[in-house]
Amino acid sequence: MSGQTIWDKLARMDRRVFYWILFICLTVPYMTPLGLPITVTPSTRSYYDGLKTIQPGEVVLLSINSGVSAWGDCLPAMVASVYQVHEQGGKLIVWSIGYNDCDITWARIKTLLATNVFTDWVEGEDYVYFGYCPGQETNVALLRDNIRGVYTKDVRGVATDDIPLMEDINDASKIKFVMSSDTGDAQIYYIRQWKNGPVNYVGSGQPPLVAEMGIAMNKSGDMVYYLSGDEFGLVAGSRGAAELEALVGLKGNATITMDSISVSHVLLVLAIILANVGMFATRGQKK
Amino acid sequence: MIANVAAYPSDPLVILGIWVALFLMLAIYSYPLYKENPVYRFAEHIFVATALAIGIIVNLTSLRNSAWTPLVGGNYLLIIPIILGFCMYFLLIPKQRWVSRYPIAILVGSSLGLGIASNPLPSIITQVISTITAPKAGTAVWAWFPGSPTGDWFSFVFVAVGLICSMTYFLLTYEHTGPVKPVTIAGRYFIMLALGAYFGNTVLFRFSMLAERGQYILRVLGLVPY
Repeated sequence: MSGQTIWDKLARMDRRVFYWILFICLTVPYMTPLGLPITVTPSTRSYYDGLKTIQPGEVVLLSINSGVSAWGDCLPAMVASVYQVHEQGGKLIVWSIGYNDCDITWARIKTLLATNVFTDWVEGEDYVYFGYCPGQETNVALLRDNIRGVYTKDVRGVATDDIPLMEDINDASKIKFVMSSDTGDAQIYYIRQWKNGPVNYVGSGQPPLVAEMGIAMNKSGDMVYYLSGDEFGLVAGSRGAAELEALVGLKGNATITMDSISVSHVLLVLAIILANVGMFATRGQKK
Repeated sequence: MIANVAAYPSDPLVILGIWVALFLMLAIYSYPLYKENPVYRFAEHIFVATALAIGIIVNLTSLRNSAWTPLVGGNYLLIIPIILGFCMYFLLIPKQRWVSRYPIAILVGSSLGLGIASNPLPSIITQVISTITAPKAGTAVWAWFPGSPTGDWFSFVFVAVGLICSMTYFLLTYEHTGPVKPVTIAGRYFIMLALGAYFGNTVLFRFSMLAERGQYILRVLGLVPY
């Protein structure tokens, strides 16, 4: 293999070496945090401002449309949101129209907020968890007008009619807003079917507003709905969640993860620069 | 700021669960970090089987709660969706496959109806209004110009120019020559810029997933707070 330049060797490097470097670089900052500063973007600020408008007793909906695999991006924002709803004295309805592993996600939220929130929140009175129901947008349209038509009971098996929190609630009109945690486009279902619902919307008063706290991958697509006013706030990925944690005053997993994410991005940018330099350095050498 | 961490599990079954999860996770990662191997295939098969089992249970539970229980409670109209659901299984019988087309047609039709009725407002009308409306103070989306008129107007002009150039690029009813050419070239760059942003956000998400898994290893090993 004589006559090989460093660029040739790098080009032939086994990709698994890079995977290992990446994996190690991602995990090390968890043990030795760098404490890099986090600035708050306007979209997260708007989301937080929306949470701050919750009056005691008002009901909001948390729609878990992200799976366990997306916990890194989605879970911290949900935890911070539930915490803030509790701080505001609000009440919470939770369900999922997207992932059937939502039970694990909800259990994790409850574990993480066991001492801050769920010591004084009573199930059925302050919050209710209905679990997963398939049906996607059709389901959302039905839930708009008839929640009991979809959820006859909560996950404990208590009939919806017997849940104190649901006493006066059977449609979207009694829900202040939707906090949708997404890996897909479920928030658009709520925008289409709830916020901009068709004329046969049976609720009285204002239709609920929608806010998104999805994965970072959705940010570009969601930004158009945020800028047009269809979403009152947007928390994008673990970065957005770290901003939200800073705003609500709850240092959670997103804040801890940001160092790791930052290091991985530096590594990726270095790899891209290195690959480009290598490409230009070896250009014209081979024919 | 309140620190938000959970205590390490004390229940032996939970501890067993998190260690099994760790083993299966490492087994899956052994494929990209090493190569395909029997441990990876074992974990892969367990994953597929478990996901299938959970899916069946969840869907049957949902069917029981939202269809069967109300049906036996007197809501006899629900027999229609139940029959339509069963019709889907005719997909498995080649000669009677046509039966399954009816529930599929109803499914596609209802989804289309819902989408068509509610899509124009948020996806077209509101977007057009948002694009041609001059910015108000404090609506900047640029993190480094929060609330400043400079950022607002920069965003507004940037979106307007980008929109015109990108749409011109897709107008294929005439040749892109003369004065239109630089506009379409600019449109191509705007599209590449948008796709780059999409890709960047995708990478951010994937790294976030990987970082969370890395943290999970450390949490189970007790190297960081659980």
